[in-house]
Amino acid sequence: MSGVQPRIEVKDLVVRYGDATAVDGVNFSIAPGELVTLLGPSGCGKTTTLRSIAGLETPSSGSIRLNGQTVYSSSERRNIPAEKRGVSMVFQSYAIWPHMTVFDNVAYGLRVRKTPQAEVVANVARVLEMVQMQSYADRPSSKLSGGQQQRVAVARAIAFSPNVLLFDEPLSNLDAKLRAEMRVELRELQRRLDITSLYVTHDQEEALAISDRVIVMSNGKIEQIGSPEEIYNRPTSLFVADFVGAANMIQGRVRGPGPNGTFIFEGQGGISLEVEAPSAGGGGTIVALRSSYIHLTPMPETHNAVPGTIHRRMFHGDFIQYVVDWPGGQLIVRRPPTEHYAEGSAVTVSFLPEHCVLL
Amino acid sequence: MRSSGMNMWIAPLLLLVCGVLVLYPLVYLITESLNVGDAQTFPPEEYGIGNYGELFEEPRVILNTLLVASIATVMAVLFGFIQAWILTRTAIPGRERLERLMELPYYMTPLIGALSWGVLLGPKTGLLNQVWRSMGWNADLFNVYTPWGIAWVMALFEGTVAFVMISASMKSMDPSLEESSRVLGAGKLRTALKITLPLVAPGVLSATIFVFAEMLGSFAAAFVLGIPGRFFVVTTAIWEATLSFPPDYGRAAAMGLSLSGAMVITLGIAKFIMRKGSYATITGKAFRPRPMEVGAIRWLLMAIAWGYIFVAVILPLAALTLTSFERFATVIIHQMQFTLANYETAQQMGSLAPAFANSLILGITVATLGVPTIGVLAWIIYRSRMPGRGAMEFLIMVPQAVPRLVFGLGLLWAWINIPIPIYGTLWLLGIAYFTVFMPLGLRTIAGVVLQVDKSLEECARVCGASWTYQMRTVTLPLLRPGLVAAWLLIFIASVRELGVSIFLMGPNSKVIAPAIVNSWLSSSSELSAAMALMQTVMVFIAVAILFKVARRVGGESV
Repeated sequence: MSGVQPRIEVKDLVVRYGDATAVDGVNFSIAPGELVTLLGPSGCGKTTTLRSIAGLETPSSGSIRLNGQTVYSSSERRNIPAEKRGVSMVFQSYAIWPHMTVFDNVAYGLRVRKTPQAEVVANVARVLEMVQMQSYADRPSSKLSGGQQQRVAVARAIAFSPNVLLFDEPLSNLDAKLRAEMRVELRELQRRLDITSLYVTHDQEEALAISDRVIVMSNGKIEQIGSPEEIYNRPTSLFVADFVGAANMIQGRVRGPGPNGTFIFEGQGGISLEVEAPSAGGGGTIVALRSSYIHLTPMPETHNAVPGTIHRRMFHGDFIQYVVDWPGGQLIVRRPPTEHYAEGSAVTVSFLPEHCVLL
Repeated sequence: MRSSGMNMWIAPLLLLVCGVLVLYPLVYLITESLNVGDAQTFPPEEYGIGNYGELFEEPRVILNTLLVASIATVMAVLFGFIQAWILTRTAIPGRERLERLMELPYYMTPLIGALSWGVLLGPKTGLLNQVWRSMGWNADLFNVYTPWGIAWVMALFEGTVAFVMISASMKSMDPSLEESSRVLGAGKLRTALKITLPLVAPGVLSATIFVFAEMLGSFAAAFVLGIPGRFFVVTTAIWEATLSFPPDYGRAAAMGLSLSGAMVITLGIAKFIMRKGSYATITGKAFRPRPMEVGAIRWLLMAIAWGYIFVAVILPLAALTLTSFERFATVIIHQMQFTLANYETAQQMGSLAPAFANSLILGITVATLGVPTIGVLAWIIYRSRMPGRGAMEFLIMVPQAVPRLVFGLGLLWAWINIPIPIYGTLWLLGIAYFTVFMPLGLRTIAGVVLQVDKSLEECARVCGASWTYQMRTVTLPLLRPGLVAAWLLIFIASVRELGVSIFLMGPNSKVIAPAIVNSWLSSSSELSAAMALMQTVMVFIAVAILFKVARRVGGESV
């Protein structure tokens, strides 16, 4: 194991359809065994990027390397067809062939590779067991439920031991409960097989939960690459702060340096906040503040404490969401269901400087 | 998909072949319509628009056409609407079976319908007229050899087209639109008038216009029932013009092109209304509206629904069957003389047995060669990203806009003037059938190609399958039901083809439908009935297989 050679390398990838640019100069690389998510709203180019790696889309320029081998390069005029790239893919629609049994579906990639029959049988049994579908091998695949089709699609994708596994919104057609279960199972499976994976989703919760790293895309460009924690706690752009997680945006401007290397940020209504140093060093005009990081009682370790009133209280089960009136307007605050404040009661809005991300 | 080496030349080649097949006859047709010199020479010695001018010198034909088409359209839409309403919106017993049976009139064809209604309601000798007279009346119940009779037959067999279109627009209506009206306090009647009617109106209107366009170009009924009384509509007038001496091809071509023009415009309007005005079909989803409970009148509604099947299918076939086994067509029991002679004659007559064989050979050959060719075309048009595939689709669909008879005229001219001696042979008929059935095949196969999700094919490629391996293991097996259906539809269309065949068959290349017509016009109705029945049986066997295939596909639901 070299550990240095990335499994997937995408350089300056551009995909155009006529006048529209779907992917506009995307660069990233993925290390062996990593699970990386492409996250973004629909139409941001994430699926097009994935399909370009699979060889199902012909890019306009740039290059793609898999295992150090160039599979697409506009300058070398090289474009290796999908079937020769050795990647595997789980489709959004599952793409289970309705005219074949579950076994035939899963065995397809092995049979294409002229694997001996005994080995085919053993491998299919092995992967069907992994997805807990071993008892369904002889069923016609047109009789499966959505969740079962999903499992078969995963089994088929891993049966021929591909180098790289691509997921195109694989869970988006399942209901919420099944989706949460499959999320855990997919991550388990990926860890166990130690298979390099690229995963496309528009569900930020899903992306944060299963990924080693998240790539946030918007309008064909990469907004930010980082671990789920980095993306959540340290968004580098307004788009990321807004798209991932629930955040309050506080308008204002930087007044000058504050204590302990912080800055003093003056917002609407004359509020004065201590905020973290801006990453780029420039003077930001917006502070992003996660709803979950706001307390409604004074915290001893911060000067950021402003009086407010509970305007509305909504019980969500896992948390309670409050709309709080404060001098800066309104804040969305999420507190555990154990912390209860009545509508109209006075509170102290309080948060740490490190949770105020200056953009 | 990647354009592999093979695709690079196969697409332009197919485009060229289809282009020649479709455009070559049309060029001849247009040239000939502008020929005001000697109609027999090509290229014309003199050009002009005189042939078009002549059309209006005798407006009778145009008026006849409009009269028959209008009456027939009103009747057909009425039949179609009533059937559609009963079968999609009310809870009558045996709905599913009736819905399936509604396809039968389409396969009966207007030709068989016209022959059998001729047998049923011909003056004096018609079976129903015999019954009527035997009951003491001194006149015919109805004479079918009239404009009303022609319209009646046309309406019966076009009624199922209207039914399909109207019931589609009724089915595509979201039932919650009506339910919300009920919930907001409107009664059944108010809901029907204020919600249901406006929502289905565009569908009904566009069906009406579509049926009218079809009626303008229809030939068989007007031919069988109009010619004996010298009542001409445009299509039969075209036919007549080519028989006059010397044949007036110029006038025939001008009439044909004007007719096509009128039909294209009318169909364009129908399509426009369908797209513009149809709120109901926006989602393209098929709903199954909850059928209305109609209480005791459900038996009446059921009788009406069966009544249509009875007059369009059962009664005509019964009349043909009875007549074909009789020495003289009669329903007076003590006069009946049963015989197999008609069937023996049909087999012995010099040209008839070969006509059956020829039609079978043509049907099988055209379908067998046509389906793979059209299959490749459909795949290129709907799946590849090849440049020019839009043009290809347009080109293939052109024959649909030209009435069969008019296209036959163009083919006649085009292939008489080509130095390859295929005029009067089965080869020419085969080429002609392929050309005019391309739209039918393409539509059928496109239906399944578009149904098969693209990711099913992509997944095979990602799994490592080459293009040919993917075609063999995934694409073709998934398309198989559609390909089989297309084969059967082309076969059925071939064995009952009349409009093109009537111009192109030669003494040594007779086919069934024109042979039946000739026998009807020149010899006995008993013999014709036997032949018509034999053709119908052939078609119905293919239809039975088709239904079976369709059911299997429906059960699997790709």
